[in-house]
Amino acid sequence: MPHYRCFIPENALSFDQRQEIALAFTDIHCGSTGAPRSFVSVTFLETPEGQTHEHGKGYFLDGGNRAGRSEEVKQLLLSDLTQAFARVANVSPDNIPGRITENPASWTMEGGFVLPEPGQEGPEWYAAAEAAAAAD
Amino acid sequence: MITFNCTIQEGIVPEDIRPRLASELARITTGFVGGNPDEVSVNWIEIPHGFGFRGGRLSTTSAVRGEIPPGLQQETRVELMQSIQDMWMDLTGCTTDELVVSARDRRDN
Repeated sequence: MPHYRCFIPENALSFDQRQEIALAFTDIHCGSTGAPRSFVSVTFLETPEGQTHEHGKGYFLDGGNRAGRSEEVKQLLLSDLTQAFARVANVSPDNIPGRITENPASWTMEGGFVLPEPGQEGPEWYAAAEAAAAAD
Repeated sequence: MITFNCTIQEGIVPEDIRPRLASELARITTGFVGGNPDEVSVNWIEIPHGFGFRGGRLSTTSAVRGEIPPGLQQETRVELMQSIQDMWMDLTGCTTDELVVSARDRRDN
């Protein structure tokens, strides 16, 4: 966690655009929350023309985060992500709906550790995250 | 109903071991929460190369996301996730840093 799923039309984005968006999302999320970079996952899911995905048609940003952040932080995060996506994809932000859903951190194990609640990350957890990033 | 959505990166988890992974997910999970292993649903979502990133770089991470009946004690939930992690690492050869396991309460909408 976090995991951002980007629903996109088929062939809408090049590899370079996808990578730029993934980097931007990582920068934005970590800048907003202080999370380690290696924990930010971004996946792009293409929808063939004429078909729909679980949120309808076209673009959709679906974020899954740890619970415990304020509504203000979540809305600002989603707005920043949408703006970054729109800039790289050359699409109006109005055409990129999205949401951020949350689950308790304690329901997920990542890097061998149960995730701490936001604000409860101890030195051991950060050390493990840094080790994981270094091993990539 | 217990459901698992396994999001894997192309080329990381061979197709021929997926049935074993699925049956082990069902066996382990019903061992903790009860139920019939045959009624556990396991879905595979393979992300094509170049479409999955972690930390801004191409990802090799698998995400095993389970939805289980609500109310499991946290200590038991951790044991369940640990057991799934151990099994997955054993069968796939991945490291702890290449695996995310979750056991979420099912939401009955």
